[in-house]
Amino acid sequence: MIRWFLRGVTGRRLTTRYPRASEPPPSGFRARALLPSEPVTGEAATRAAAACLPRALSVDRDGALAFDETRCIGCGLCADALTMDPGYESARLGDSRVPLSPAFRRSLHIRHVDTGSDGAAEQEIAALMNPYYDMQRLGLFFTASPRHADVLLVTGPVTRPMEGPLRRAYEAMPEPRVVVAAGTDACSGSIWTEPEVLGGVDRVLPVDVYVPGDPPTPIALLHGLLLASGRAQEASSAGTKSAA
Amino acid sequence: MVDAGSLATSLERLGGRLMMLFAVDSVGGGQELCALVHADDAVIKLRAPVRGDGYPAVTRVVPAAHWFEREIHDLHGITPHGHPRLEPLVTHPPDDGEVKLFGEGDVGPTHRGAERLAGPGVFVIPYGPVRSGVFEAAQFLVQTGGEDVAYCAQRLFFKRRGAERRVCEVPLELAVLVAERVSGTSSVAHALAFSHAVEGLAETEVPARAQAIRRSLAELERLYNHLEATVRECEDASLSVAQAQFAALKERLHRLAGRVAGNRFLRGTVVPGGTRIDLDTDAVDLIAATLAEWEREWRRVLAVLLRTDSFLDRLVSAGPLSEEDARDFACVGPVARGSGIDLDARRDLPYDAYPEFQVAHHSDGDAMARMEVRFQEVLCSLELIREGIQSLAPGATRSEIGPFARRSALGVAESARGETLYWLEADGDGTLRSCKLRAASFVNFGIFNRVFDSQVLTDFSFIEHSLGLSPAGCDA
Repeated sequence: MIRWFLRGVTGRRLTTRYPRASEPPPSGFRARALLPSEPVTGEAATRAAAACLPRALSVDRDGALAFDETRCIGCGLCADALTMDPGYESARLGDSRVPLSPAFRRSLHIRHVDTGSDGAAEQEIAALMNPYYDMQRLGLFFTASPRHADVLLVTGPVTRPMEGPLRRAYEAMPEPRVVVAAGTDACSGSIWTEPEVLGGVDRVLPVDVYVPGDPPTPIALLHGLLLASGRAQEASSAGTKSAA
Repeated sequence: MVDAGSLATSLERLGGRLMMLFAVDSVGGGQELCALVHADDAVIKLRAPVRGDGYPAVTRVVPAAHWFEREIHDLHGITPHGHPRLEPLVTHPPDDGEVKLFGEGDVGPTHRGAERLAGPGVFVIPYGPVRSGVFEAAQFLVQTGGEDVAYCAQRLFFKRRGAERRVCEVPLELAVLVAERVSGTSSVAHALAFSHAVEGLAETEVPARAQAIRRSLAELERLYNHLEATVRECEDASLSVAQAQFAALKERLHRLAGRVAGNRFLRGTVVPGGTRIDLDTDAVDLIAATLAEWEREWRRVLAVLLRTDSFLDRLVSAGPLSEEDARDFACVGPVARGSGIDLDARRDLPYDAYPEFQVAHHSDGDAMARMEVRFQEVLCSLELIREGIQSLAPGATRSEIGPFARRSALGVAESARGETLYWLEADGDGTLRSCKLRAASFVNFGIFNRVFDSQVLTDFSFIEHSLGLSPAGCDA
């Protein structure tokens, strides 16, 4: 045990200073597609929309390319028409934009529920506890019971067998409560469709914070949780629902 | 071609390892069973048309067929007569808010229960599908008197997303995106197995440069998955410093992946015909330098872990899996290799020009043996990555996928969890008419109840994490 103690007290600081300092992604990181400022039209728009499996890109009535970031998996197959945004901070508030409780500003207790993820989002959530992110320093904690939870952190599109357990976990939570959809599949259902998958979490529960990402990076998750506690803002690059 | 009535006899006579058993719609109408067997260093395919509504169950003579036949029954309505336990496997009964523990009374054919044990003080812990901590959805019914696990039944397929259907529905050039998301921690292995199958259909040669990139990425993926198992075991043993240090090592691998591939889980890298990314000299230098430092740190932390009695005490002799059981149930990956079975798809069903390497295996069959296999594979993977990035021949990284020359093909890849399979059948017009995928976890989950024989409840998580299972992959 003394060896672990010595290993624990030696060594340099690894922990990010996020959110006080920004944590830049590496160049070439594919977080999501980025629409140019002028509308994409014509054949380029049709081709980009056809290459988009989760239908994040579509051609609207005016023939211009529209973008729904909650569906984007960052595959980059549209990148001959668009560019890719490497930015980690992807979280957005839900349409309801209910004022989040001031009780959440200092500390949050989080209950995670998997409703059909691919398994990577869970590992990115677990990474929040590694020394690089160390979410406890921000007053964020996981709790085993939904009865002690402020946040329901949901990963995965909602499969039919998981609809009931998801509802029951939500109903067991005390109010006020926040639902965070973590990952593109939880935000919108992503590439998955009926009949096995109902769609995104908002088909079942009111979603307060969307954290798109495939999988959502640890910084994206931290940003989403801080947004839920009222301690962060939506990133300026995110939040553009369409080019129009 | 054999008749479904004699499939069991044929498979028994053939011996070998049952890789897959599934039903497909015949081209001329009707349904047929398809079995793939690994015997004498070859994959042998048996097709057996089904007459009527059933056939004599294969499970009676080949135990490895047990989940496959339940799946066939659920999805195709074909009855394997004489199957020892023909309950729904992949389908779930309507959710009325109650956990159905046992098939009693009027629950009838929808029951998914375990055998009920009787005795004073025996009770059931229904654990999941929402579990304490950050875990994937799966349910375990643990029957216990308080300490000893009397019987543990696993219930999966809460996460079934219809991946096989989606692979066939979407345009062929986008289908690899579905395969990457079946088991998101094994994206490279699933993309590889799927791509190998498409390349088999079109008889495409993959450029040597792409093969070297594929090997390097696949081994990088193996590294972070083996680290995940190590982190989880340290967490279970309450070794906070060890957990933090292994988690930091794992994070460095994901950061490396993000830098060279643009995604922390290496998605968007492998495609049919080759790879979408290239590794330039900067990327090669970055990988070499990062992994050299990473290996020194890994060796230092692992050396301390292997001298920590409170870690070894919990893993040695926990969750034993006999070689006989591992063989009977056709286990794959570190689970099989930890029970003395020398099996690795990278060597036995070779792909992507892997050089010769030593397959790690261990004969103890306990949780420690499975972890020892992973520890040895970490060093082997580091060596294979070095080999891969040093043998980047100049040239293209992608070949064109031409019209399909064959009607069906099998794609294989060895993920960190074991052999991953994609079976594709094509129509004449170049579209996929059916896809059957089998992740390593589908077979390895089948022995989950067996490794808990006469184990104690407090070892549950040690045993579970030593198996390193992916519910997402199993459920597909």
